[in-house]
Amino acid sequence: NGADGNGLTTKKYSRDFLLKFAAQCTHLPEGFKVPSDIDGALLVSGVDLLRESY
Amino acid sequence: AASKPMKAPYSKHPLEYSWTFWFDSPSAKYKQAAWGSNIRPVHTVSSVEDFWSVYNNVHQPSKLVVGADFHCFKNKIEPKWEDPVCANGGKWTVCFARGKSDIGWLYTLLAMIGEQFGCGDEICGAVVNVRARQEKISLWTKNAANEASQLIIGKQWKEFLEYNDAIGFIFHEDAMKDRVAKNRYTV
Repeated sequence: NGADGNGLTTKKYSRDFLLKFAAQCTHLPEGFKVPSDIDGALLVSGVDLLRESY
Repeated sequence: AASKPMKAPYSKHPLEYSWTFWFDSPSAKYKQAAWGSNIRPVHTVSSVEDFWSVYNNVHQPSKLVVGADFHCFKNKIEPKWEDPVCANGGKWTVCFARGKSDIGWLYTLLAMIGEQFGCGDEICGAVVNVRARQEKISLWTKNAANEASQLIIGKQWKEFLEYNDAIGFIFHEDAMKDRVAKNRYTV
């Protein structure tokens, strides 16, 4: 299930396959930056705000 | 130093396309005159893992403020009618009561990034519009005139969402001329 493996065809992932990764990717990705005027409206409060401060 | 944390070698699952999240907040909207000038890119993801890292840290539609628009579009395609890739396109739209679109939004995103649509190249991206009485999710496609492709996408989308009501497809060029543009296709 998941990647095609040969790099020639489309990288198709079923919903069930994608959902398996949900719980293990909880930290903001590297380089994630949101303008300070919208971060309160967009980000879940209490997220790992280890990103650069403004 | 021995105490320096090391990242384990680990390969992420690449996506067929990179996807950019865009956010348009109502507070910014009122400060700016020109529509669209407040839509800002938030982050671009190109792996399954990075997708979840963003998704898990941003609000689901039910928790977004009324007036917010949250987009997920293929990288380099701007979620605007004027974008050259979108210019001849259109959109399918599904409507939910306020607070009821979270699963539909997630399943739409997963279908897009997982390349589950039969005409995946046709897909530009998706947007959820959060309003006081309803949440609307629209799926933007490239070639509105290609009826066969749009019908395939519309039917598949309804299956992914287990959405039983009829949904309509509007051409962007109609929407530009008329606020209440008529559906060109219905499934």
